[in-house]
Amino acid sequence: MSSEITPARRAGIEVAVVASALIAAFAVAGIVLAVIGADPIEAFGILVYGAFGYPEAIGYTLYYATSYMFAGLAVWVALKAGIFNIGGEGQAYLGGLGAALPCLFLDTLPPILLLPLAMISAAVFGAGWAAIPGYLQARRQTHVVVTTIMFNFIAGALMTYLLNNWLLAPGGGSPETRSFAPQAIMPALHEILALVGIKIAHSPANLSLLVALLAVACTWTFMFRTVWGYETRVVGANPNAARYAGIDPGAVILRTMLISGALVGLVAVNEVMGVHKRLILDFPAGAGFVGIAVALMARESAIGLVLASVLFAALAQGSLDLVIDMPMINREVVRLIQGVLILFCGALPSLFRKFITRLLTQSPAAAQAGAL
Amino acid sequence: METATQILLLVAAAIRLATPLLLAALAGLYAERSGVIDLSLEGKMLAGAFAGAAVASVTGSVWVGALGAILTGIVLSLLHGFATVTHRGNQVVAGMAINIAMAGLIPTVAQAIFALGGQTPQLGPAQRFLNVALGNNALTFFAFLAVPATGWLLYRTGWGLRLRAVGENPYAVDTAGLPVARLRYQALLVNGALAGLAGAYLSMAANAGFSRDMTAGKGYLAIAALIFGRWAPVPTMLACLLFAFADAAQAQLQTVRILPSQFVGALPYILTVLVLALVGKGGGMPKALGIPYVKERGA
Amino acid sequence: MHRLLSPVLMLVLLALAPAAVTAADFMPAIVFDMGGKFDKSFNQMAYEGAEAWRKENGIAYREFEVTSPVQREQALRQLARRGAAIVIAIGFSQGPAVATVAKEFPNTKFTVIDAIVDAPNVQSVVMREQEGSFLVGMLAAMKSQTGKVGFVGGMDIPLIRKFAAGYRQGALYVNPKIEVLENMTGTTPEAWNDPTRGAELAKAQFGRGVDVIYAAAGGTGLGVYQAAKDAGKYAIGVDSNQNYVQPGTMLTSMVKRIDKVVGEAFTSARDGSWQPGTRDLGLAADAVGWALDQYNRPLITAEMEERCKQATADIVAGKIKVSETCSNAACTN
Repeated sequence: MSSEITPARRAGIEVAVVASALIAAFAVAGIVLAVIGADPIEAFGILVYGAFGYPEAIGYTLYYATSYMFAGLAVWVALKAGIFNIGGEGQAYLGGLGAALPCLFLDTLPPILLLPLAMISAAVFGAGWAAIPGYLQARRQTHVVVTTIMFNFIAGALMTYLLNNWLLAPGGGSPETRSFAPQAIMPALHEILALVGIKIAHSPANLSLLVALLAVACTWTFMFRTVWGYETRVVGANPNAARYAGIDPGAVILRTMLISGALVGLVAVNEVMGVHKRLILDFPAGAGFVGIAVALMARESAIGLVLASVLFAALAQGSLDLVIDMPMINREVVRLIQGVLILFCGALPSLFRKFITRLLTQSPAAAQAGAL
Repeated sequence: METATQILLLVAAAIRLATPLLLAALAGLYAERSGVIDLSLEGKMLAGAFAGAAVASVTGSVWVGALGAILTGIVLSLLHGFATVTHRGNQVVAGMAINIAMAGLIPTVAQAIFALGGQTPQLGPAQRFLNVALGNNALTFFAFLAVPATGWLLYRTGWGLRLRAVGENPYAVDTAGLPVARLRYQALLVNGALAGLAGAYLSMAANAGFSRDMTAGKGYLAIAALIFGRWAPVPTMLACLLFAFADAAQAQLQTVRILPSQFVGALPYILTVLVLALVGKGGGMPKALGIPYVKERGA
Repeated sequence: MHRLLSPVLMLVLLALAPAAVTAADFMPAIVFDMGGKFDKSFNQMAYEGAEAWRKENGIAYREFEVTSPVQREQALRQLARRGAAIVIAIGFSQGPAVATVAKEFPNTKFTVIDAIVDAPNVQSVVMREQEGSFLVGMLAAMKSQTGKVGFVGGMDIPLIRKFAAGYRQGALYVNPKIEVLENMTGTTPEAWNDPTRGAELAKAQFGRGVDVIYAAAGGTGLGVYQAAKDAGKYAIGVDSNQNYVQPGTMLTSMVKRIDKVVGEAFTSARDGSWQPGTRDLGLAADAVGWALDQYNRPLITAEMEERCKQATADIVAGKIKVSETCSNAACTN
């Protein structure tokens, strides 16, 4: 039976499953909205409009999606090696330090040198913060979940200390660095497109978006087209088998954690160099945790990862208009809706998979329709 | 003399700080020993903290309040079970979803009922767990007694054997004719009750009422303690005590003003990593942890 | 039909918004920072001020609670676009966002609290928390039997250091030999919402002989007040008058009248008397101070009240200078 399911049909099933999970999630969220006295249809209209309805909104959605892509990729890569890196938040925070140092102290360099340097530095700092948990997991079997939780707290302490005592803007009363010089700032998309004569709305979406998409492509190539990627997958699937095949699981785990940390460190390129243009307290704002949901929803698909990032980005952005325009909806209600969405799309798709698979595999005609 | 008093105070503080961690970590232990990762301890604690204080405040009884916290924890556990056991959803995502949803739902409900900005009213003495003996309250005694009780249940009873087996090799359990799903649900019932109580400790013992986001990451710390304790009751308790002791010590150290407050504040976490690194060699993880059980159909 | 149209309508409205501002439909707005409007701290004070103003004037206001740093700028911009006549931004973190958005909307008035932004359409309000803290530090020192008083802050940031520094100076002013113990709750945003930790920090300080604690830590403070009550010691509230929280053991509260500032900003924007520039508000403007009401009346002696009155006059007159920071325990700087 299962051998009859073609890849196209399987893809059709996946799409139908995700679609029904989304519909169910919005149905439950709609009930919640109705309970608090908001018109669900109007609310969803505003949500979608707020995320995609006008050029600036799209820009903001893309900006959020950029951070979520980096964070999601980081978790995804680690998961492939069988390790659960929930330290993205701390690694991104340290990535911010990595990005800020060259932007503050080497800003006499021209952008063509400074921007790549700061990007590399962000990745290196992110990787560095992941290196210790990675090493401990690889060589001491110290569970990476515990150490990365601890490293999130330690990162918070370290950054608060640095921002309050060393990086504070001179004379400034708040824990943040001075603004970066213009050559240290990631060009915004509207600025780049203006150079070639295309005018789009101002938004925080910046060159990092392209870096993120490139990172997705590179990560997938790495994972499915290279020897290192193959080794990663073998270790993730079965460390003992890997050992028999002559692969050192420890080395692979350390390597993967470094890659993971480097990827999430790039969140800082988007946030610190692209948007805030200075290093501020708590700038990752939970992106590292959203990355977990993104990675788990992406499964085996690069497009899935991008779409999951856009979904969470749309929620983050669309809720702004929602909260402003519907006074009965506050940020708590938005969080509740996010929770419901994650539950249905991330944890409950099998609720529909059984049904849809049966539906699409019983009659060839229906299966055909599903594939299309 | 002075030093002795300080040490006694430190130990007392550590026991108080360890109690909610221990209750939550034991909650996690039941779930994870049955093969279900529980990342939702934070959300269950938050809901339990609110439900306990809200019910106690309305009924005037600490015990009815505690029951409210337990039932609320169980409801969330059943939701978690519905997603992960019945429908074999991703356990980590389901847990995170519960945390996020509760962070949104609880303040909304609290505001709707009490209109105090997401708080419950202050609890009076009859609505709180007060110290009963040795400067500690009933929940603390319960938490520490739950450790040997859990050990006995897990290692000395048939139910415990089956529960552990389900977390190690559900296929074998299934082949032996035992219901995998039912065992996991049973584990989740205990899990919900304990997690709810962990929350109740925060709002009804350590404090006198619920306030927003009052779990402040303790659910995640409990997971760390559980993993640190290698999913075994006594080591998990020791891990909770270590975290709590380090936390209590940093409060004392901060006032001396030798090191920057941030470094002292990070000491418990640094210490944990160091101890873990030195002790090394993990293990003890239930082999089927995180893997939804798919019953083999006669293909 | 209406529902389908509304997004289109909104687009049109958005385009027209800046022109649509008239005195007839005066719409004030307020943007709270990350803590949210129920943070038991400065955001909540601002919220209470806005609510009081709404009830008094019967005019609704728009509001937004920021959940990520990037939303600060965005929320200000969206509210300005929707025709808000005045947008109040709460908290030092919003300063740079106000600077950016104020430039884009030169006809919208912005009032930012706890930050200074130099722009022709921005009013910056800074409060001298150190002055109010000085007075409660004096009260703590006068009340203390042990010669040790405590401070519990939320996070070690410049704003909280102002509270701590003022408190320390006030305590030393009364008793040069006094010992001031300081604790900071944490380094992540959770530090503002952890009453259990607050209670433990308070208990640790009580264990070292402290008998009065001043908490400047948002929701964490509730744990400090409860611990003080359970131990029969004294606590001092912050931002709003929190004397009622634990009557009998709340010595006083350091009040920071953000509620008043918010009401004044709304009212002045409506009647046209709103002025850009910096308002540096301290004891002289009655913007900070200490709370005395029926809940703490029995705890405050006539002598304590008298000395505080004298110190207030001296600070206003410039005879006592309260520094914003203390680099050492004696605060000799």
